[in-house]
Amino acid sequence: MVMLREGMCPGLHEDLVRDLRGAGVKTVEDLVSSDIEELAQKCSVSYKALFAIRRVLLAQHTAFPVSGADLYEELLSSTAILSTGNPSLDKLLDSGLYTGEITELSGGPGSGKSQVCFGVAVRISHHLKQSVIYIDTTGGLTASRLLQMLQAETSNAEEQMEALQRIHIFRLFDVYSVLDCLHSLCSGGLQRASVGGGSVKAVILDSVSAVISPLLGGKQNEGMSLMIQVAGVLKTMAKDFNIAALVTNHVTRGGSGEVQPGLGVTWAHIPRTRVLLERVENAVSLHGHSSLRSATLIKSSRQACHIKEQFDLQWWSRSPDRSSGKRKLEETQLESSA
Amino acid sequence: MTESGAQLFSRLEARHNVKDIEPRLFPKDGGPEDGEMVELYGTEGTGKTELLYHLLCRCVLPKEAGGLEVDVVFVDTDYGLDMLRLVSILDSRLNTAQSGSSSSAGSDETVLRSCLSRLLVIHCSSSAQLLLTLHFLENSLSSRPALALLLIDSISAFYWVDRCEGGGSIAKQEERLSKCAELLGRLLRDYRLSVCATCHAIRRSNDGQASSDSDRSYLCRAWQRLVTHRLLLSREATSMKQGSKEQRSQQVFTVLCSSSSSSSSSKIKSYRSSLFCVTDGGVEFI
Repeated sequence: MVMLREGMCPGLHEDLVRDLRGAGVKTVEDLVSSDIEELAQKCSVSYKALFAIRRVLLAQHTAFPVSGADLYEELLSSTAILSTGNPSLDKLLDSGLYTGEITELSGGPGSGKSQVCFGVAVRISHHLKQSVIYIDTTGGLTASRLLQMLQAETSNAEEQMEALQRIHIFRLFDVYSVLDCLHSLCSGGLQRASVGGGSVKAVILDSVSAVISPLLGGKQNEGMSLMIQVAGVLKTMAKDFNIAALVTNHVTRGGSGEVQPGLGVTWAHIPRTRVLLERVENAVSLHGHSSLRSATLIKSSRQACHIKEQFDLQWWSRSPDRSSGKRKLEETQLESSA
Repeated sequence: MTESGAQLFSRLEARHNVKDIEPRLFPKDGGPEDGEMVELYGTEGTGKTELLYHLLCRCVLPKEAGGLEVDVVFVDTDYGLDMLRLVSILDSRLNTAQSGSSSSAGSDETVLRSCLSRLLVIHCSSSAQLLLTLHFLENSLSSRPALALLLIDSISAFYWVDRCEGGGSIAKQEERLSKCAELLGRLLRDYRLSVCATCHAIRRSNDGQASSDSDRSYLCRAWQRLVTHRLLLSREATSMKQGSKEQRSQQVFTVLCSSSSSSSSSKIKSYRSSLFCVTDGGVEFI
């Protein structure tokens, strides 16, 4: 909705704006969809002048059509596939996270959603030397875990610090501040974040359900509207800035007891790719807590759905010195799943 | 509004007919006539977008490859258009056509480019923008005589935002979509354009309960009146093919088409149900 103001386009001066308002035409939409001939008489302005104003306003505010051939050309040059660092997950995702899309990880508590997010963040910041925006809405992010993952990658302390500096963390606990943050990222924040080094390649929102699910239920319109707004700004950001968006979601049980991602049917349309993470039940490790997880592809436009892969959360922190690294990992896992 | 002679001519000149866009989908002799609206309705993962790609490909492919060779506008309100997927479908269609008739018509790449240049993509991020864009399209239609089909994915994208912004009154909540519907009605009538739009179901369908509440349209009445063909999509229970292990279970989708006949004398509804599955090369009817 854009209000009519003087000076928006040539010919739209103060008096005319007032006259239009008097005739009930307040926004650009109103002007465009009203009968110009009638309106010209009401506001005692020439039909030609008003028609010209309509044309200019329309050209200013419409979404511009792009030829499919040009779009394809642009896509070929700009799309990147970001590896998650884990071969099984990459296989499931058809070689990684695609820029310009929203990918969703869903799963119950302790299914490894956040761990995968950490792994992706570390992978992008260390291997690709690009920046990552990490929006943490649950307070589950610990810098020490990120460092631990980096230590498994490199023993060079300087490199570790550089990589950590490329991960920009926002801790936001309600949907309004998340929306605020996303909007400010779109209007300049992303460029500022990429000043220090590589450009921002991924935005991780862990978790999206933590801020949205409290809104659903009561006043339905408002909650749904906010959900769609979060989805909208994520989608436009992903497309316009060529960023891979990774979100996490909780799970619920459907009517017949099957596990399904949360946030309902309206949200189901939003992510392009959805992956369901689950614990592998029968696998028992030496320490009693297994880090084996299974990932199932439940929505994709590239691969057949319901492919299942198993992966080990320890993949991201496999260190040359296994004995000490492993124990540490077990502890952090317990923390993160609690 | 005034109209020049050239504009009048190009408006009234016969546009390409998309009646036989997909005979397997619509009731016998009941494909979408000029100026008719098709709605694809279903929950997530019922093949709406895939079916839309199928129709799109059929339109932009050259005649030699079994297409209609007409221009298409794709209004993407979901930001969901997967160009790479679309190209892979086009590619496989072109390849099968080429292997059938051994005569090669130019290199693959140029044919593909010419297909894609028949497609115009518009991204819309709000219902106000959608409305303005439709107005803009109305103005530019007369300069594009080859344009025959308008695709909207999806018309329900801004439903909740509009509901919230409209406040208490239903009329205010539905104002934008009603205006869009009114305008689309004008495009259908004046320019003899055909429109296909997807609509997300907002309630989970209960299995086994045919024609339940979840299938009813929830969009404004102005929109409902426009729709002549309604395609209800649903997912069949996964049928495991036993025997060979390599043959993965294939997801089968069902489409139920209900068309209200366009002849104004009698309001007859005709139905047709068809099955399809989605492969690497796009939609395949069974």
